[in-house]
Amino acid sequence: MTARPKAWLLGGRHYSTAASLALAAPFLVLALVTFILPLASLLHESLFLPAPTLTHYQRALTEPVYLRVMLRTLRIAAAVTVLTLILAWPLAWVMARSSGLKLAVLVASVLLPLWTSVLVRTYAWMVLLQKNGVVNQLLIGSGIIDQPLTLLYTEGAVVLAMSHVLLPFMVLPIYSALRGIPEDYGRAAQMLGASEWATFREVIFPLSLPGVTSGCLMVFLLALGFFVTPALVGGPRQMMIATLVSQQVREMLDWSFAGALVGVLLAFVLLLVLIFKRAVRLDRFVGSA
Amino acid sequence: MTTDSKISTTRRHVTRRKVLAGALGATTLAVGGRALAQSQEVIVATTGGLMERSLQEHFYKRFEAQTGIKVRSVPIELPDQWARARAGQRSGNIPFDVVTATPPDLIQHADILEPIDCAGLPGIVANALPNACFPRGIIRTAGGMALTWSKKAFPNGGPQSWADFFDVQKFPGPRSLPDTGDREWWVPLAALLADGVAPDKAFPLDIDRAYKKLDALKPQVAAWWKSGDNAMQIMRGGDAVMMMVYSSRSVPLAKSGDFDFTWNQAIRDVGNWAVLKGSPNVANGIKFLDFFVQDGKEHVAFSEKVSFDSNNREAPNLVPPEERRFRPSWPENWSRLVIADYDWIAANRNALRERWVTWLTK
Repeated sequence: MTARPKAWLLGGRHYSTAASLALAAPFLVLALVTFILPLASLLHESLFLPAPTLTHYQRALTEPVYLRVMLRTLRIAAAVTVLTLILAWPLAWVMARSSGLKLAVLVASVLLPLWTSVLVRTYAWMVLLQKNGVVNQLLIGSGIIDQPLTLLYTEGAVVLAMSHVLLPFMVLPIYSALRGIPEDYGRAAQMLGASEWATFREVIFPLSLPGVTSGCLMVFLLALGFFVTPALVGGPRQMMIATLVSQQVREMLDWSFAGALVGVLLAFVLLLVLIFKRAVRLDRFVGSA
Repeated sequence: MTTDSKISTTRRHVTRRKVLAGALGATTLAVGGRALAQSQEVIVATTGGLMERSLQEHFYKRFEAQTGIKVRSVPIELPDQWARARAGQRSGNIPFDVVTATPPDLIQHADILEPIDCAGLPGIVANALPNACFPRGIIRTAGGMALTWSKKAFPNGGPQSWADFFDVQKFPGPRSLPDTGDREWWVPLAALLADGVAPDKAFPLDIDRAYKKLDALKPQVAAWWKSGDNAMQIMRGGDAVMMMVYSSRSVPLAKSGDFDFTWNQAIRDVGNWAVLKGSPNVANGIKFLDFFVQDGKEHVAFSEKVSFDSNNREAPNLVPPEERRFRPSWPENWSRLVIADYDWIAANRNALRERWVTWLTK
């Protein structure tokens, strides 16, 4: 008799609600203690301390300075998402079509940076981009320019360094989506007369969408909360919302206002996820990848 | 190895006693108190890096060897340190014994700092620099926020005052200023000095005048440094030709040959030790402060590493003559430093910070 997996290993529908909750309990407790409770206490502080008030939210939403920081945060996060998508898709495609040593090398080149400290990678960008840095020296040495360019402390530098740090979060979901597409599909399309471009446009890319959407969502949300990289590679003119929140907490000791900033950001992110879910019908992809 | 295991045994023992004392309740308060007094540990918070390593080498290790009290060192930035100390005061769980405090910190956070009996501590009476022990802290390190420049950018002599720093006609090139620590008064103070205000007339600071001067310079500020390492990186990388930076960073830059700095109008930058009220090992904290000021030779060696002077009255006489140019406490240098009105700063700090943050974000 062949050994068959036990019924409880086969799928969710075999669990009772109680069993599901019990299995998820360690995570739920962790999330509650380390995330939900502190967040709730911060939001509570923003609304009710010392007395119930909306002034902190009013300040966060009406002061031009804070609005500008929020808009800039959105713009930078969007730029990082687009850039990582452009870089990640072809890479994920090559990975999905590779095997053996080639695949191992590619996977390692995606994962190794992920395991390197963000701070180290940010400092590396500073060394590359500064006035006497590697990039400027190469450009001057090859005669393309004769005066060093200002590369560091610009929004471009922030987008570049953040994209580098967040790239793995885009590559991996797209890779796993592409990996799930049988090679026959592409061949079938071409046998039916589709050109390479049409195959990509009509078959491969749509099938990679679950990975693309989860990658985009992940990179965008991570980018919104980015802290170290914009603080070091950018200047005050590139300040993002996380830096503003930390400034309020660490320097102004104004927890209420920090809470209001966090509240605004959180509300915005939730709204965005909702819209996103509607627009791309995330549920349609669940289980298909 | 053997020392380690011995200490950990003692510590376990103490912990068990504390637990026991707690369990037995109020009648054993005296035992609990004794257990606390005998605690074999002191938690010291300092900004990490070179400072922490050098303190370890010249003070923490000797303190452990001589008293058997283990130093637990916590690297942390000053704003975080105070945020956590304040949060600890609220929750009753105070995270450190000894903390690092700037002079305005000593005033601003006086309510959570343990008083220090300067006249009653033998080490301090015998070894500390004159006027270097205060009601709530003692001087740990001293230096200045000094004007530092690249000799390559200015081969015919660099800027000599804050007026020169703000003069982009005479000294063209990108500037760098701090966005950390006490910049909310360092930078406006320098701006006022640049605008012609005499150092002894600078306080109370004319904030509007200072920011008007700063507005004019802002486009020339290419980089706002976040830490000492970051500042040196900016100078070496060529992203700025001059900056305001801790003298502890100017000295190694100057010694490397490509840079120079002046003590003229440098804003005196003192770091203090203080002890948090109600911390787990208050007595050990005070003991550490009293220990710190002793042994001039160790202070000279320590100063050489961190490029800050420290608090020992014998040390200045032990400094070799060729080193004196780099020592803030050498009388010729010391007299050129600008000393701030810390009471005024402490009283106006929130407004100063608010102004700085909004101005910088704009």
